[in-house]
Amino acid sequence: MIVKLEQITVQSRAGQELVDITPEVERIIAASGVRNGLVNVLTKHTSAGIIVTEGLECLEQDVVDHLERLAPDRPQEYAYYHNRYLDFDGRLGFNAGAHLKSILSGYFACFPIAEGQMVRGGRQRIYFAEYDGPLAREVVVQIIGE
Amino acid sequence: MIDFHTHPVLVEEMVIRYPELEKAAREVFFIGNRLQPLETFLLELDISGLQRAVLLPLETTRTRGLPIYSNEQIAELVAMAPERFVGFASVDPLAPDAPDRLERAVADLGLRGLKLSPPSQEFYPGDRAVYPLYERAQALGIPVIIHAGMSWEPRARLVWGHPLHLEPVLADFPHLRIVATHFAWPWSLEVAALALRYPNLYVDTAALYFDNPDDFITDLLVRRVPLTLIEHSLRHQVVFGSNYPRVEIKNMARAVRRVGLSEKTLTMVFEENALRLLGDSER
Repeated sequence: MIVKLEQITVQSRAGQELVDITPEVERIIAASGVRNGLVNVLTKHTSAGIIVTEGLECLEQDVVDHLERLAPDRPQEYAYYHNRYLDFDGRLGFNAGAHLKSILSGYFACFPIAEGQMVRGGRQRIYFAEYDGPLAREVVVQIIGE
Repeated sequence: MIDFHTHPVLVEEMVIRYPELEKAAREVFFIGNRLQPLETFLLELDISGLQRAVLLPLETTRTRGLPIYSNEQIAELVAMAPERFVGFASVDPLAPDAPDRLERAVADLGLRGLKLSPPSQEFYPGDRAVYPLYERAQALGIPVIIHAGMSWEPRARLVWGHPLHLEPVLADFPHLRIVATHFAWPWSLEVAALALRYPNLYVDTAALYFDNPDDFITDLLVRRVPLTLIEHSLRHQVVFGSNYPRVEIKNMARAVRRVGLSEKTLTMVFEENALRLLGDSER
C-alpha cells in the first residue's frame, strides 16, 4: 500500500473564478508510482471549493454566476451574521457569501486510479473554485493505492 | 489611482527574510490571516483598479518590544515593486533623535511620509515633545499620517485616538499636511469639523468597524457625515485608504465608489488628493 500526500499552491487572480488543476493532479499521480487506487483532491479553505465539471470557459462563467445568485456576497434582502469582528483574525468577517458558496460546491473530489491513470470522463475537469480571491490557496492531493 | 493606507504585514517574501515580522503581525498588529505572496497584494490592487499603494510601518519598539516593519524593511519592499509602492517611515515620536531618524529615512531610503499611531506608540499628538518631529517633517515637505479613531490592536486605548488631540498640531503647523486615518470613527463628525477648520488636515476612508464595507461606508459618509459635506466642502481633503489586509482593497474601493460621490470627487479621493499629499501635484 502506498499513501502519498502532496500540497499544491493555486494563485487565484480574481474575486471569483475557476482554476483548472487537472494537469497538476495527473502529474502528481504519475509521480506517485501508484498503479491502482484512489486520488483525493481537497481544498484547505472554507471560502473556496473543488468542483468537477466540463472544461468550457462559458460553463465556468455560468458556475460562478449561478453560485453568486444562490449565495450572493451582498444580498439585498438580508444581512449575514458573519459581518462581525473576529478577534482571532483581527478583522471583520464579511465573506459569508464565499463560505456559503464553498458549502454548496463542496471542498473535495475523488477519482479512481487504474493502470496509473486517473479514471474520469473525457469531459470532466477538476477545478479549484475561488470565491474570495485573489489569494494564494492550498490544495491537498492524496493518493492511496499500490 | 492610489490606496493611501495599507500595511504589508502578511507579505510572505519579507517574512521569509525577516521572521520577526510574523511575530509583529500576529502580536502587535494583531492579524490572523495567512501569509500571502507579494503577487496577491499586487493582484488586489489590479482588480481594484488601483496602480499604487502607500506602505505603512509603525515603530513600536518602545511600547510593544518590536516594530511593525523597520524603515529599511519598507524601503526593501518598495524596491521589489517600485512602480507600485510608496514607502512611508515611522519613528518613535518621543525619542530625542526622532527628527534625525526621519530625515535619514527620507534622504537615504527614499521614504516619502511619516506614519505615527498615538494608541500604539502611546503619546498624545499635541505633546510638545513631538513638535521637533513635526518641524522636521514640515521642513522635509512630507505628509504625516496619524492614526485617529478606534484601533483593533489589543493594548490600544481609544482615548489616544481621539482626533481633537490633533488640533494643536494643525494650528501650530499650518504648512504640515496631516492625514487622520479611519475617518477617526467613531469621532467622524469631529474630524470633519477639524477638516473644515484646518485645510492642512486630510482624512482617509480606511474605516470598517461593523457590518461590511458597503454598509459601513454608507453609514459613515451618508448618515454620520452628510455626503454633501464631503462633496461640497471636503472633497479636496479626503483620500482613499483600504486598511489592507484588515480589509480587502477591492471591497473598500467598491464601497467608496458606490457611496454616491460625483465622478469628479471620486477622482480627487482616489488620485488627486493623494498626489498633492505626496508633493507630486501643485494643486
